[in-house]
Amino acid sequence: MTPQDIDRILAQAADRSAAPNLDSAAFARAKASLPPTFGPVRPMRSAWFYVSLFVAVFAAVALCGAWAFGVRGLPVLSFVRRAVVFPVVLAGAWIAAVASFREMRPAGGTRGGPIALAIGTLAPLAAFALLFQNYSFQNFVPEGVRCLLAGLACAIPAALLIFLLLRRGFILDYRAAGLAAGTLAGLAGLGMLELHCPILKAPHIMFWHVAVVLVSGLVGRLAGWMAENLPSRDQRERSS
Amino acid sequence: MAAYQQGDRAAAEALIERVSPQLHRFFMAQVVSRRYADDLLQETWLRIHEARHTYRPGEPVLPWIYAIARHTRVDSFRKVRRTEIREQQVDVLPELARRTSSPPPGPDLEALLAALPEGQREVIVMLKVSGMTLEQVARATSSSVGSVKQKAHRAYQKLRQVLLEMGFGTAAARMD
Repeated sequence: MTPQDIDRILAQAADRSAAPNLDSAAFARAKASLPPTFGPVRPMRSAWFYVSLFVAVFAAVALCGAWAFGVRGLPVLSFVRRAVVFPVVLAGAWIAAVASFREMRPAGGTRGGPIALAIGTLAPLAAFALLFQNYSFQNFVPEGVRCLLAGLACAIPAALLIFLLLRRGFILDYRAAGLAAGTLAGLAGLGMLELHCPILKAPHIMFWHVAVVLVSGLVGRLAGWMAENLPSRDQRERSS
Repeated sequence: MAAYQQGDRAAAEALIERVSPQLHRFFMAQVVSRRYADDLLQETWLRIHEARHTYRPGEPVLPWIYAIARHTRVDSFRKVRRTEIREQQVDVLPELARRTSSPPPGPDLEALLAALPEGQREVIVMLKVSGMTLEQVARATSSSVGSVKQKAHRAYQKLRQVLLEMGFGTAAARMD
């Protein structure tokens, strides 16, 4: 049996099981979903505009966070480390920003949230593994928890700002949008930590700094799942 | 669509007239009742109205509409599943009326598609029932053209198996 045979059988089956033409009541119901009057809307701006805004939010939050916590990490980084770490984090943020924009628009493009999370964690991890060779585990947990909390504290305002931008569009899949936005917010936290944290131990940076991105991305996905599954105010009012 | 964005109600109604039959068929082909398809259609147009600012003039409109339609369907299925889990059936449901007319010759589309996983079924419906191109389906499903081709290929493999089991392989060979 060739694909053409299957095509023909499918076409015949579709013709046979096609519903009779939509009746006027169904058209009337569909038209009733429009309000009696509605004004013009301004079409969404280009992808570049929103991606640039997302990256600007990432940079602004990372810089403000570093300013608030103190820029103690940047002076201790060598030129090579600076030249590698910050572009890698920025590239991850760019990918997460593109993924976030794609969730703002129906048919916005290939879904990129999981890819953004994978690159946002693995690329900095690889860069840190290459650049830092001090494998001391001294004060691993106390120092690490402090950095994780500082990074997440920075990711929260970033996530709120990103959510405000996302609301300018129309989110269809809240879980995917949450994952992409959470990853971008986590990268803002990671960027802040690279500017702030003076600890140059490889296990500390590779585990606790990168964990900010991972935790933030997963929390974003969880928040998206909750947004999809918890009944909205409208639904609660309707059911009561 | 551009006129709809400018607040032209007549343009919006014209769009509804033109696209609704296609959308209704899309819902009907995914194993739903006619009444349920009507509800999904209305919900889709509600969402399209809310999302109309996200359409960019000059871009193909069908993938944009189908992206909203497929999510409306998915959300609705989730809602129904949640309700079914919470609710307990207390009454015996009446038996569905039996079909009195003779069954149509050839396989039923719903029976054919029921053998496919949801993702493959959706792709086949968009390609073969709604008549969309691979690129349009890729946009509507937020995936790549390669992924759509792969799903279609796997769906065809499964359909071939189902049709052979139904005895259609020999019929097709005789027709050739």
